[in-house]
Amino acid sequence: MIIVGSFDDQELSARAIAALKKARIGEISWFSPIPPEHMEEVSHEKKSRVRALVLTGGIIGVLSGLAITIGTSYEWSLVAGGKPIISWPPFIVICFELMILLGGISAVTSFLINARMPAFDTAAGYQPRFGSDHFGVVVRCEEPDRTRVESILRESGAQEVLLEAA
Amino acid sequence: MAAAVPENLAPTYADVDRGVLGIMSTPGAIFWIWVAFCFSLVGIAVLLWARQIYEGLGVTGLKQPTMWAVYITNFVFWVGIAHSGTLISAILYLFRSRWRTGVYRAAETMTLFAVMTAGLFPMIHLGRVWFLYWLLPYPNERYLQPDFRSPLVWDAFAVSTYLTISALFLFMGMIPDAATARENAVGWRKKFYGLFAMGWQGTQRQWHHFSMAYLLLAGLATPLVISVHSVVSWDFAMAQLPGWHSTIFAPYFVAGAIFSGVALVITLLIPMRKWLHIEDLITLWHMDNLAKIVLLMSLVVSYSYLCESFMTWYSGDKIEQMTFHMRYFGPQGYLFWIMVACNCVIPLFLFSPRIRVNMKALWIISIFVNIGMWLERFVIIAGSLAVNFNPAQWGYFKPSITEIMITVGSFAWFLGLFSLFAKFLPIVSMTELKEGIVWLRQAIQKGNTVDY
Repeated sequence: MIIVGSFDDQELSARAIAALKKARIGEISWFSPIPPEHMEEVSHEKKSRVRALVLTGGIIGVLSGLAITIGTSYEWSLVAGGKPIISWPPFIVICFELMILLGGISAVTSFLINARMPAFDTAAGYQPRFGSDHFGVVVRCEEPDRTRVESILRESGAQEVLLEAA
Repeated sequence: MAAAVPENLAPTYADVDRGVLGIMSTPGAIFWIWVAFCFSLVGIAVLLWARQIYEGLGVTGLKQPTMWAVYITNFVFWVGIAHSGTLISAILYLFRSRWRTGVYRAAETMTLFAVMTAGLFPMIHLGRVWFLYWLLPYPNERYLQPDFRSPLVWDAFAVSTYLTISALFLFMGMIPDAATARENAVGWRKKFYGLFAMGWQGTQRQWHHFSMAYLLLAGLATPLVISVHSVVSWDFAMAQLPGWHSTIFAPYFVAGAIFSGVALVITLLIPMRKWLHIEDLITLWHMDNLAKIVLLMSLVVSYSYLCESFMTWYSGDKIEQMTFHMRYFGPQGYLFWIMVACNCVIPLFLFSPRIRVNMKALWIISIFVNIGMWLERFVIIAGSLAVNFNPAQWGYFKPSITEIMITVGSFAWFLGLFSLFAKFLPIVSMTELKEGIVWLRQAIQKGNTVDY
């Protein structure tokens, strides 16, 4: 079964998450209308994989810049303005821009992939007000734990506790 | 500095939603008349551009030696305007500056449309616009690639990267707000906002990756914004022309870009907050902070002018000195002095706290700064070309009606797009304003003062 607690304050919902974690009941997830600093703190999330993908994108960008500039210069080794065929200072500009470009594109695409977006299904326990002015704490648990979960949510300051079929 | 925070400055989340979603209500006739007016000016500009493509660049005022003038001035001006958005949205985000929340979406929107406008001008400036793709790393029929040692090729990379990253930053930051709008909308609007929200529900997983991706995007946008205007400045500084060939150009242009950009943010926000009734969301506190940035950048720009003049005198280079003499006292010297008045003298009024929160005075000062910064680019670009190494070739530029109307059209294009965005998409970030409420409540509990 799914129990949804609705809060009007982030700290209260973070308190509920911490209490539920301490009691080791069910599987906890949450919804937030604002960047959830307190809720993330108590959730002890693993570090986002987005970081590694952005780094990879940036490195690919630099390598692409080097490949384009050096590769095309060597394709026809034409001396222009008495400058060396491989002129590092101007090539760094291209590498830098491509590093930012591919790093930025990687940030957005890896966010979408990791966050499983675009999402066409509604997540269990979601209510439209969680996108506006309420915080939701969702607990998937078995029937015997129901009373304990409900009391933890209420004691933590939930305005409303609802039951949803799993 | 500490300022009093009235109790009514701490609204609820619902108040924020009501305030911002209220802006996005069905527009009235006056709005559509304004948009139609803007796009009819764009239409005139497009017709004049079509004539220019058909008849050639002879319809402009361009002639030897000033082959770069109004169009390139517009390009540099609009790229510069874009910088304030990234400054306010990315750099101040990294510094965790709280006052940015009310104004950053408008500034970011301005960035996107300003880069889009800027990107049009190299095309408009081309005699044969259909060969624009020659700037891409694509070999011609002799297998020759573009010369990556040319700053014009750097420009193509820098501006297209800036456009892409600005768009990603804007639309990604808007995802949670679009979801809020979706939940409060009906009919076609629900589907429209749903497209931007991409199924966002504010889940644990979504926020976790969103926060990291947004932070990293801000981290990438910050050096990008510095690099883009540096690259634009190198279009000039890499040339040997007196008045252009200067090592100070990159920081000088970046400072000028932030100066003009923040001034235009003020120019747009003052009427916007009044007409859209969002004085509670974009407060005098926000405007005061923006005014302080304008004042600071005015001092930096004034210092750059002094440095540039000092280095010209100190170098002992007679040709360079003559270029600057003509810039100050030549036939178009009055443009330089108008520029000094607009950029160095008039912004000094902002030392007065009362003027900083007087919206009429602030708006007028911001207009002067916009005029001054446009003239600065014109004086550097066209003024330096007019007085080159060969006195027999000297000649000053006079714009034709084609250039004037295309410039007017670019402002209309920018304002039309900005107005449409402000009316149909969240021009103020609900998510970050709500985040600010938590901080504001804490500040009020601590004794009704806020340090900023």
